[in-house]
Amino acid sequence: MKKIISIVLILTMAFSLVLTGCTKKEDEKKKLRIFNAGEYIDKSLLTEFEKAYGCEIIYETFDSNESMYTKIRSGETYDILVPSDYMIERLIKEDYLAEIDWEQIPNKKYLQEHLLGQDYDPEDKYCVPYYYGSVGILYNKKVIDKEDLADGWELLRNTKYAGNIYMYDSERDSFMIACKALGYSMNTIKEKEIKKAYKWLVKQRDTMDPVYVTDDVIDNMISGNKSLAVVYSGDGALIISENDDMDFFEPEQGTNLWTDCMVMTKDCKNQELAMEFMNFMCDPDNAYLNTQYIGYSSAVKPAFEMIRDDDYKGIKAFVPRIHFDKDEVFRYQTNKTRKIYSKLWTKVKAY
Amino acid sequence: MKHYRSMISPYVLWAFGFIIIPFIMIMVYAFTDGGLSLTDAGFSLDSFAEMTDSLYFTVFTRSFSTGILTTLLCLFIGYPMAFFITKFDERVQGTLILITTIPMWINLLLRTYAWIGILSDNGLLNSFLKMLGIGPVSIMYTGIAVNIGLVCNFLPFMILPIHTSLSKMDPSLLEAAYDLGANKVQAFTRVIFKYSIPGVLNGVIITFLMAISAFVIPKMLGGGQFTLLGNLIENQFISVGNWNFGAAVSLILAIVILAAISFLKRIDPDGTV
Amino acid sequence: MKKFQKSKLFYGLYIGVIFAFFYLPIVVTMFFSFNSSKSLTHFSGFSLRWYGNLIKDTEIMQAVYVSISIAILATIISTIIGTLTAIGLSKCRKLVREMLLNVNNIPMMNPDIVTAIGFLILFSSLRIPKGYYTMLMAHITFCIPYVITSVYPKVKTLDPNLADAAMDLGASPFMALYKVILPMLREGIFAGALLAFTMSFDDFVISYFVTGNGVSNISIIVYNMTKRTNPTINALSTIVILVIFVTMFIVKVIPYLIGKRRKEQLAYEENN
Repeated sequence: MKKIISIVLILTMAFSLVLTGCTKKEDEKKKLRIFNAGEYIDKSLLTEFEKAYGCEIIYETFDSNESMYTKIRSGETYDILVPSDYMIERLIKEDYLAEIDWEQIPNKKYLQEHLLGQDYDPEDKYCVPYYYGSVGILYNKKVIDKEDLADGWELLRNTKYAGNIYMYDSERDSFMIACKALGYSMNTIKEKEIKKAYKWLVKQRDTMDPVYVTDDVIDNMISGNKSLAVVYSGDGALIISENDDMDFFEPEQGTNLWTDCMVMTKDCKNQELAMEFMNFMCDPDNAYLNTQYIGYSSAVKPAFEMIRDDDYKGIKAFVPRIHFDKDEVFRYQTNKTRKIYSKLWTKVKAY
Repeated sequence: MKHYRSMISPYVLWAFGFIIIPFIMIMVYAFTDGGLSLTDAGFSLDSFAEMTDSLYFTVFTRSFSTGILTTLLCLFIGYPMAFFITKFDERVQGTLILITTIPMWINLLLRTYAWIGILSDNGLLNSFLKMLGIGPVSIMYTGIAVNIGLVCNFLPFMILPIHTSLSKMDPSLLEAAYDLGANKVQAFTRVIFKYSIPGVLNGVIITFLMAISAFVIPKMLGGGQFTLLGNLIENQFISVGNWNFGAAVSLILAIVILAAISFLKRIDPDGTV
Repeated sequence: MKKFQKSKLFYGLYIGVIFAFFYLPIVVTMFFSFNSSKSLTHFSGFSLRWYGNLIKDTEIMQAVYVSISIAILATIISTIIGTLTAIGLSKCRKLVREMLLNVNNIPMMNPDIVTAIGFLILFSSLRIPKGYYTMLMAHITFCIPYVITSVYPKVKTLDPNLADAAMDLGASPFMALYKVILPMLREGIFAGALLAFTMSFDDFVISYFVTGNGVSNISIIVYNMTKRTNPTINALSTIVILVIFVTMFIVKVIPYLIGKRRKEQLAYEENN
C-alpha cells in the first residue's frame, strides 16, 4: 500500500519537475507583465520588444476597466496596465501606481500636448498617454435621415429606428449618453439626476429594443446589420474605412472624451524595463504600426498625423473633437456612487 | 480485508481542500460584507436582502424558463431520436450513437462561435432565406438564438441516456404486451416509456443543470440584454466586484439545483438514477 | 414488410435532420476556414491563409499547448487518484463510503460556474498566483469524480475475495492490485480516463475563472477572439475537429476491426 502512495507521489512530483524544468529556463529572462484591453495592440510589436530587450512579456487582456480593477483588487499583480482616465484616477487614489521616470522616456516629445496634464493626473506623474477618442453615434447614411441627426443623442430614442440599433454595453458610457441628452454633467452624483438618466435609458430600452453589445459591434456594423450604433471614435473610423455607407458624429449635447494611458504599478519589479516598454510604444514608427492595426487615434503625434493624412484620410471619426466645452472627461466615483450606477445599469440591461 | 482501505486517503485530503473548503468559502462570502477581502468582513445578510429586488426575480425567472424550455425541447426532440435509433440493428446503432457523441467532443465555444456566423442578420441563414425569396429574419441576439445554441449543445446529453435505457429493454416484453392485447399507445406508455424513465430523468437532470447555469452561450448569442443567472454571477465576480452578492446568488443557484435533482430522483420508481 | 420499410425511412429521415442540426455549425466552420477573404458568409475562393496565420500566432499555439498538456496531466493524475479511491472505497465502512461518494457528487451536480467561483475565491484568498498550476488543480478536481463514477461500479462487481486469494497464493498486496484487480477494471478505468480527458479539454467556465498571468487554454482564447470575425478560429476549429474524428476512428473503429479479424481467425481455427 505504501508503495502505491509513494508511486503516486513520485509520479506527481516527476510531472511537476518536468513542468518546472520547462519553465525554469524562461525564469532567467526578465519578465514584463502587461494587462491591456482586448484587441488593443499589434502583437508583433510585443515580439519585437521581447527580441530587442531579451525579455519575456506576459500579456493578458481585459474587457472593461471595471474587470481590470476587480482583478487587481483580487490580488493579481501586473507591471503595466492600460486603463482609462477615471480608472487611473481611482488607481492613483488607492495607491496602486508608481511614478513614471520621464528621463527614461525620451519619446515624450512626440506625445500630443492636449493629452498631458489632464485633471486625473495634473502633474503627469503616473501616466503615459496611449490612445484617445470620444464616444459618438455611427449611422448608415442610406437609412438615417439627415434632419434626424440634429436630435443628437435623442436620435437613439427615435422610434423610426426601433430595433435597428446597437448600444455599447458599458455602464459609464450609457449613463453618459442619458446624462448628456438630459443636459446634466456625465459625472453627476445627484441622485435625482441619476434616477432621471436611468429612466431615460429604461424608456430607450422599452421603445427602441436595442441590442447591448461590446466589440462585436465592429463586425456587425461593417456588414451593415443595423443602422445605428454607439461606438468609440476609433472603432467608428475602422468601420467607416471598411463600409462607406457609414458615418460618425459627436452630438452637440457633448460627449465623453477619453484617454487610455500606460501606467506602472507598485508591484513592478523591473521598472527600467517597464519604462523601456512605454518608450518603445511611443516611438513614432512603432506607434504608426500599432495605430494601423488598432485604428484608434494615437497619442503619438507623428503617427497620428501620418494616419490621419493617409490611411484614414477624410474620416472624421479618426479626429475626435477636442476643446468643445460641453465635452467632459470621466471622473473618479466613490464606491457608493459606483454601486448605485452599476446596479441601475444591470437593471436597464437585465429586465 | 483492510489492505486497500487507506488508498482513499489522498482523495479525502484532496476533496477536503478543493471541494469542501471552496464551498464553505462561498458560504462565508455570501454571509459577509467585506467585499473582495475577508479580513475586515462581518456577518451580514445584505446580499440576500438585495436579492429581493424585483430585478433579480426577473433574472431568476428568465433563467428558469430558459432552462425548462431547453430541457423540454431537448426531451421532445431527443426522445424520438433515441427511440428511432433503437430500431436499427446493433452495428448501425453503434455508428449512430458515435455520430451523436462526436459533437460533444468539440469545444462548446467553437460550436457556438459557428452559430454566430449562421444566425447573424447578414449571416448564412438570411442569405439562404433571401434565395428562397423569404424576408430576412432577425434571430441573432434574441432568446431564439440562445435556445438554438443551448439545444444544439445539450441535445446529445438527452439522447444518450435515453438510448441506453431503451436499448436495455427486452424486445420480447413488447411482444408480450401486444399478445396481451395492448394497442400501440398502451404498449408505448405502459412498457416502452416506463423502461426509459431512468434515462429520461438522467437526461432531464443533465440538460436542466447545464442550461440553467449556462453563461457563455447566452453571452455570445443573446447580447448584453439576455442576462441569465450565470451572467449575473460572472458579472458580479469579474466586473462589478461585489463578490459577496455573487457568492449569495451562486449559493442560491446551487441549492435550487440540488433541490431540483433530489425532486426528480424521487420520481424514479426504481431509484436507478 | 413494406410498412416496415416505410417507417424505417421515416426514422432515418428524422435522424438525418437532427444530425444536420448537429453538424451544420461544424461543416460551416470548416468550410469557411478555407475562405480567402475574412467573410464568414461569402466564399470568395480557396486559400490556406488562415492556417498560415494560425501557425504564426504564438498566442494560439501556446493555448493549444496549455489545453493539451493540462488535459493529459489532469487525466493521468485524476485516473490514478480516482481508481485508487474507487478500489479503496469498496473496502471502507458504509458511513465513510457514503460520505465520500456524496462529496464526490458535489462537483458533478454543482453548476460549473459555482465550482469555478469556489476556486476563484479559494486561490484569491490564499494569495496563490493564478496560472497554469491553479488551472491544473481545478481540472484534476473536477475530473476525479468522473473517474470514480466510471470505475466504482466495476469495483462493486468484483469478487471481494479476489485480492485475498491472490495474497494467499503469495502475492504482495501491491502485486495483487497490479496483477489481479487493475486488469479487471480496465474497461472502467479507460472509460473514466476518456471522460476526464474530454471534460478537461473542453472546459471553459472553470478555466476562465482560475487562470491568470497570461495562461489561457483554447476555450479562453476563442472566447476572447469571438468578438471580432476571425477565420483563424475556424482554422483552429477545423484542426480540432479533424483530430477528434481521427482519434474517434482509432478508438472505436480499429478495435472493432481487430475484434472482427480475431473472430474470423477463431472461426477459421475452429473449422480446421
